[in-house]
Amino acid sequence: MAETKQGTGGLVFDQKKRTWPNELNILIALIIIIAIFEALGQLLPYMNDQSFLFDSRDRFDSIFNEARLRIIILQVSIIGIIALGVTQVIISGGIDLSSGPLVGATAMIVMSFAQTELVNGGPNPKAVFGEWAFDLPILIPIIVGLAFGALIGGINGCFIAFTRIPPFIATLGMFLICRGIAQAWTRGKPVSFPTESYAGLGSGMMPVYWFIGLAILFHFILKYTVYGKHTYAIGSNEDAARMSGINVQKHKVLVYMIASMLAAFAAIILSSKNLTAQSGMGIFYELYAIAMAVIGGVSLTGGRGSIVGTVLGAMVFGVIQSGFTYVKLDAYFQLMAMGAIIIGAVVLDKVRQERAAKRS
Amino acid sequence: MLSGPVLAETLGVSIANFDDNGLTIMRNGMTAHLETLEGVELQMEDAQEDVAKQLDQINNFIASGVDAIIVNAVDTDATEAMSNAASAAGIPLVYVNRQPGNMDTLPDGQAFVASNEIESGTLAAFRMCQDLRAMGKSGGATAYMLMGRLSNQAAVQRSKDFHDVIGMDMCNFITLIDEQTANWSRDEAQDMMTNWIASGEPFDAVFGNNDEMAIGAIQAMKASGIAMEDVVVGGVDATPDALVSMQAGEMDVTVFQDLAGQGAGSIDTAIKLANGESVDKTVFIPFKLVTPENVKDFM
Repeated sequence: MAETKQGTGGLVFDQKKRTWPNELNILIALIIIIAIFEALGQLLPYMNDQSFLFDSRDRFDSIFNEARLRIIILQVSIIGIIALGVTQVIISGGIDLSSGPLVGATAMIVMSFAQTELVNGGPNPKAVFGEWAFDLPILIPIIVGLAFGALIGGINGCFIAFTRIPPFIATLGMFLICRGIAQAWTRGKPVSFPTESYAGLGSGMMPVYWFIGLAILFHFILKYTVYGKHTYAIGSNEDAARMSGINVQKHKVLVYMIASMLAAFAAIILSSKNLTAQSGMGIFYELYAIAMAVIGGVSLTGGRGSIVGTVLGAMVFGVIQSGFTYVKLDAYFQLMAMGAIIIGAVVLDKVRQERAAKRS
Repeated sequence: MLSGPVLAETLGVSIANFDDNGLTIMRNGMTAHLETLEGVELQMEDAQEDVAKQLDQINNFIASGVDAIIVNAVDTDATEAMSNAASAAGIPLVYVNRQPGNMDTLPDGQAFVASNEIESGTLAAFRMCQDLRAMGKSGGATAYMLMGRLSNQAAVQRSKDFHDVIGMDMCNFITLIDEQTANWSRDEAQDMMTNWIASGEPFDAVFGNNDEMAIGAIQAMKASGIAMEDVVVGGVDATPDALVSMQAGEMDVTVFQDLAGQGAGSIDTAIKLANGESVDKTVFIPFKLVTPENVKDFM
């Protein structure tokens, strides 16, 4: 067992110096963004004094606009689940570009095993397989999906760990392969009409519960287990980690497998939420997941970041998306605004880091 | 003169995006139609929404000497270069589904097969207006609109059609609260609609530039406990998912674009041009309005 104060991989890690946790900065940024939207709601003439976060129209018998609170987190939960995996990959010093297309491929495959036989009393118009694949127990599509995720992640990890090709290239290749699988599976046709039990996995607020549950789980795993410590160690200094006896190759395969299984699970939830699987699902998800992690303070050079940060990064996304519709920002300007905010957030983080480095 | 044995004809097809559901129906319409024809081969390519890639594909078709080229344009403003390349090589070119920007100056031996895009949004929006009147809301009604990808001609057109319809005397009781893009996607539409519901403004109608987004809106409304009989929801495409939703009493209006028919029509037109026959510059495949009364005919 490595000593926590000592750090792993030969790195000295002095906890006393970290008095102001990075996560707190993101939380403050989040509050500032909310305040800006709240102020805009008061200032813009067409908003009729509507509040962003508070129950200004007495619809909920509560202080807050509960529908707003729900959608802020609901709309980022699925990409958030992917971001939990991406966070681990980036902390270990890698990157995973294949998660978005993996969502598309997994959704197509999984939904084919989750179809129901009768739709509105008629036969399922989107059936992929024959009779045998209808109304299967819910565990079968879930296992198929997670196994497919583990397979793809395992391949990613093996190439990165054993052939030493850059993670960017390995996962970029897998990006194309997965999009290809998604399209080839039914030659582009969408797969719809799942069983009732499958539809329940992602209905209502279920995506949020999965996201929060998995975030708590991986928060503890990263913070308190050997797996977590090794992940940080490899990302901080791979050679040092190897010399201190960590099986770096095996560990990398494991990290990519976990990340892809999380992306596959996100695909299950996404297809259940939408009651359909389409080969174009998950477009840009890999980039949004990376952006959530980076906004949340995960360093692209590896070794630094946390699950709490990524969850807050996801919340920043959710607030911005919801805020844009709240102030009725012209659709043609939303992408520009989003891009500017992402770059701005990372620049601020960088400045803060450099200052902290100077101090210590 | 007797016509000799038909030589195998090769058609090069470049599709804007294999991921797109509507285009997939069109693509499958092409392959299905091909089976009824003898001596015709298709070489189908996916341009992946990349203008440059599509032009490369067309030049590759020309280089390999296909008899005719069918293009489903990625960017309708980038068709001039394609027309010029094909025209210079003397190979017929048929645009399908998306209207080329150089429609007015299309060279000889080139044609456009599609449905008249203005029909679709107008048909759906007008029917929604009638439905709202029938519900007794002619004194004033509010609506949201979910737009497709903002760079896409169909999205721009259908959005404009909706604006035009609610600008008519008969339908100007409808006020548009907000319009946002959901990029043709069910998931994005679901989140967008939930955001709108969160703002708490009452609304009577939701128009989606396509069915997928209309279905997303329906799922969001159902999740928020809004009664579907109080809201008029319209889309375009008449996809199987939309028809099922309509049967369940959720979706109210959609428009059937005979995409498979467009695919088949593009092949027929290409073959005619390859054989030196003359065809109209524009070959229209009509749209059909789908409502709960006639939904059975489209299942």
